[in-house]
Amino acid sequence: MVVRMKRRKIALAMAMMLCVGQLAGCGDAADTSGGTESSAGQTSTASSVFTGELEENVTIQVLENDTAISKGYFEELINAFNETYAEYGITAVDANMDQYLDLANDGPYGYGPDVLYQANDIIMQYATGKHIYPLPVEKLECYDSIPEAAWNAYKTEVDGTTYYCGVPVNVQAPMLYYRTDLLPEDWKTTWDDNGNQIPDMIENWNDMYAFSVERHGEDSSKYGYMKSLYDVYFSSGFLFSYGGYVFGSDNTDPSDVGFSKGEAEKGAWVLQQLAGVMNEECIDDTITTNAYSKLADGTYFATISTPDVYSTFLDELVAQYESEGMSAIESEEKAKENLVMTTLPQLPVSGDLTEENPELVDSKAMGGVNGYAISAYTKYPNACLAFIDFATSYDMMVTRSEMLGVAPAREDAAETAGGTSELLYESLENGNISLMPSIQEVSQIWTPGQTFFTDLAKDAFRDESERKYKDLASLKAGLEEVDQQIYDAIFTLK
Amino acid sequence: MIVLKQKIKKFGECCRDSSWQVRLSAVFMGGGQICYGRPAKGILLLFAEISILTYFITRGWRDIQGFFTLGTQKGDAWLGIEGDNSVVMLLMGIFAWIVIGVFIALYRLNLKDVYHMQKRKEQGKQLLTFREEAAQLLDKKFYVTVLVLPVIGVCIFNILPIVFMILIAFTNYGGDIVPPELVDWVGFDNFKKLATLSQFAPTFFKILGWNLVWAFISTVLNYFAGLGLALLLDKKCVKGKAFWRAFPILAYAIPGFITLMAFKFMFSYGGPINQMIVANGGTAIGFLDLDAKWTARLIGFLVNCWISVPSIMLLATGYLSNRDVTLYEAARIDGASRWKQFQKITMPFMLFSTTPVLLGQFTGNFNNFGIFYFLRGGLYLDGYFLASDTDLLINWLYNLSIDNNYYCIGAAISLIIFMITSVISLMVYIKSPSYREEDTFQ
Amino acid sequence: MRKKWKLGHTIDTGVTYIILIAVAIIFFFPCLWLILASFSKSGTIYSFDGFFPTEYSLASFKKLFTDTTLYNYPKWFLNTLFVATGSCILGTFLVILTAYTMSRFEFKARKPMMKTTMVLGMFPSFMGMTAVYLLMTQFNLINHLWGLILIYAAGAPMGYLTQKGFFDTIPKAIDEAARIDGATNFQIFTKINLPLSKPIIVYTALTSITWPWSDFILPKLLLKEKDLYTVAVGLMSLDETEFARFAAGSVFIAVPIVVLYFFLVKDMVNGMAQGAVKG
Repeated sequence: MVVRMKRRKIALAMAMMLCVGQLAGCGDAADTSGGTESSAGQTSTASSVFTGELEENVTIQVLENDTAISKGYFEELINAFNETYAEYGITAVDANMDQYLDLANDGPYGYGPDVLYQANDIIMQYATGKHIYPLPVEKLECYDSIPEAAWNAYKTEVDGTTYYCGVPVNVQAPMLYYRTDLLPEDWKTTWDDNGNQIPDMIENWNDMYAFSVERHGEDSSKYGYMKSLYDVYFSSGFLFSYGGYVFGSDNTDPSDVGFSKGEAEKGAWVLQQLAGVMNEECIDDTITTNAYSKLADGTYFATISTPDVYSTFLDELVAQYESEGMSAIESEEKAKENLVMTTLPQLPVSGDLTEENPELVDSKAMGGVNGYAISAYTKYPNACLAFIDFATSYDMMVTRSEMLGVAPAREDAAETAGGTSELLYESLENGNISLMPSIQEVSQIWTPGQTFFTDLAKDAFRDESERKYKDLASLKAGLEEVDQQIYDAIFTLK
Repeated sequence: MIVLKQKIKKFGECCRDSSWQVRLSAVFMGGGQICYGRPAKGILLLFAEISILTYFITRGWRDIQGFFTLGTQKGDAWLGIEGDNSVVMLLMGIFAWIVIGVFIALYRLNLKDVYHMQKRKEQGKQLLTFREEAAQLLDKKFYVTVLVLPVIGVCIFNILPIVFMILIAFTNYGGDIVPPELVDWVGFDNFKKLATLSQFAPTFFKILGWNLVWAFISTVLNYFAGLGLALLLDKKCVKGKAFWRAFPILAYAIPGFITLMAFKFMFSYGGPINQMIVANGGTAIGFLDLDAKWTARLIGFLVNCWISVPSIMLLATGYLSNRDVTLYEAARIDGASRWKQFQKITMPFMLFSTTPVLLGQFTGNFNNFGIFYFLRGGLYLDGYFLASDTDLLINWLYNLSIDNNYYCIGAAISLIIFMITSVISLMVYIKSPSYREEDTFQ
Repeated sequence: MRKKWKLGHTIDTGVTYIILIAVAIIFFFPCLWLILASFSKSGTIYSFDGFFPTEYSLASFKKLFTDTTLYNYPKWFLNTLFVATGSCILGTFLVILTAYTMSRFEFKARKPMMKTTMVLGMFPSFMGMTAVYLLMTQFNLINHLWGLILIYAAGAPMGYLTQKGFFDTIPKAIDEAARIDGATNFQIFTKINLPLSKPIIVYTALTSITWPWSDFILPKLLLKEKDLYTVAVGLMSLDETEFARFAAGSVFIAVPIVVLYFFLVKDMVNGMAQGAVKG
């Protein structure tokens, strides 16, 4: 989800124009109104519109993400679906709308899609405004194959009744991308102290730091690990690893902002040290946008991004190999072999990247589960449900992961897909992926966070005398400032 | 007061001496006109009355009610309850009020017209035929014909939204309270909230100050650069004017937001300017980053100039060709130098005819949302409450209201800003020669 | 004496040209950069050597017009053309009429109207967008290019001040002469003032055609279907890795405006000079 920041920008631009029906994020209000009607809705955990009777001879509009469309997966999906459901006359078509459209604004007036694919935080914000239907998920074929942790991303409780408002499709979390052909030739002897055939810099940040210093030292135009700091989605993971969090009570209490909590300042310190081995481009969004081509041309050794952009990295690398004179097939093969996407390296407990033989902890990261949901404004809920059931079948999930490189949420499909996807599960299950908060206040965290991380990156390039963050205490103070700004943004005008 | 009394008195007199036709028109619009033998006009008026009444019976009445209640039934898609949409109700309520206004105006017109007919009859004059009156619309009342469409358009698409937003300032719309939740009227609560907010005032005045500086300097800069360029291109010695003019036009032809994004990239750390600096052994400069208060502002001025100058140049070129050439000939005969000619003839003429442009530039720059949103968005800096040091009021308003979802607060703030700025610009405008002495150059 | 004048004249010409060249470079350089970027072979700006790409090709343009599954640029382009032309014709018509009326007629509501429009212009426009969107949903004009034209055209008269300033400079004496000859106000406008106001009509047409050309807020608001997008919205929806396509698309939409300019430039400059009456 490298596009997340951009998406947010666009979402902002859109919000700027439509303040119409922005997400109604109001649990309490829903509670009070539900109180009188609970007798009507009681036991069933899904909307009563899901009768199981398929609407016949209808066309449903499906909104997929752009990558799925451009890589041809979506076409394959709807063709397969339309063939299977031809006897009922149900046709799924591309909704042909902006992938980041705002259902809360368009749906009520009849301009939204029937089925939509978006990140869990977005979908759950629709749920609080009841813009999407709660689904009878246990009736779906995929129900048992998807781990509870993924389902939880779509769980909501109203009046003590549990509802599931979306169906997980794939797991998104920051992943480390690197190229094996850029490793030193003798890495097995010099960079594999524990002899487990995995390079040390992929296993822990201290070695990544050391390698970055070494690589840049040998050739000043080359760098090791590179990533723009300002991107809150990626940088906040470093804070979480040391006890920071977004909101308290499992991301539901916006009055408790936790970017500075625990020993989060150590995470900020790690980021600051990493910025020191990059160049000024880590201050603005330059690296975020140029990482694809710079990883391909060998300027960068590693970067962080989400699994859904794997294909973009791969395409760039293939193009690079081709321009170096390899044949199309050969470069494709070589690119697939050399480009590796894996989970994040471990962090030193002390936060000191120069420490030798440090005690290590797992990296945590901000992540999400993307999935399908059904618009509450659709006329054909049962046909939509049939579509989701079809799209989350084992075959389609495997195809999806093959064509797009994403990590499927179905366990069986993940096993078939192989290594990375399984690693992502482990992370999800042992809590190393903290899901994006689903409350609307989350929109307030970006700008304050972004400002701090930019400042932090800039600090690495300031003169010694002008430095703002010289020790852990000043970093802590900086993070507390972030918390305060977020709190102000949420509550001052409430 | 006296005027009012006289008016009431006159109205009373009119009522008393009105004929039965006038009274008929008071009930059925156009009725009197038909009886006076002007059926076409009468039927038009009657038709207008009937259609407006139909509108009120079918939905207008409910819209007016909705304007006060803002909805009574909350919607819930999960339970299949279709609820009221408060904002739509507010909007349609305003619309209904406008229709009432139009109706009253028409009604008044209708009575005036029929009374006028009665008077003419009494004085034994011939009534104007429908054809004659229609012809008037192309002559004496040409302005009425012409202004109908623009006024309707502006009312619906400009005034209605502004009224809507002003009214929003008196509701609790925003935050959690957006459809399907029901919105309520809250009176002056939002303004009270702002008045008691300690962080609000310091940032407000800091940004207002910068905003005024920005609007003033960039207006002057753009205006004189554009005018200078037009004058330069107007010189006799310049050959191939169309060719030279094409360069600014090219800049003009590329959409502004693309230009802004391109400039942002150029000044970024990975951009070509920094690449060249680094290639020549320097260290990269953060032209737009968070420490770059004045460089960022300066870049803002220059980029804005780059974007605005071409259109001002085009306009000034048009004006220049409209100069009175005889004046220059007279001046030359009198032996005035070219500088004198410029000072005494060109400048006053240009200033006079382009004051509206200056004002338009000023308002445009004052509310220039795009420039710093694209060049340096997404920063909250120390000493500012949810804003950065290059943000203009409109950017801050955006941060506070839209980005943070508080539409009612945003509306309240924009109302305050609006009042301040409109008073300033209105004063300047009323004092300006192009408002007071419209016919100086005729 | 004469020689000195000539020398001064030469220096003046020289300085004028130097400034002109400087201006041309200032305006052309960023455009040139965008143009070259669109012809870049690599398709990413980060492979540039300083300001310029290392290798050139037409691939971006080819892709722009042929690869239309996700980004249908040709369709966007036609949509933009339609919207821009429509709102240009309607908008120019309304603005010119409004400005003319405000300049030539004396009526009670005139000064209040002038003040009102002045004040309305100060209102932060995006705050009213909510209402515009709601209105359009009520009129059922979402996903219709006509809706867009309607709004652009309806908003155009708000900017009449510039045009009014122009009409204020056309001598009223001409009107009065015509009136004595028995012309109606309608005739005075169409037969006398309109031909004289060519420059301002051209200016108005150019500005009102470029506005829909570069606006993305309103189309984004009102057009939900990707096939109905205008170029500006479409370009904003491009993925960030598609820089070359973005540059190609940006360069190509500038073409019609530039062409239009070359067609109209004569009318713009010579309007008054060609007019029958001077002074």
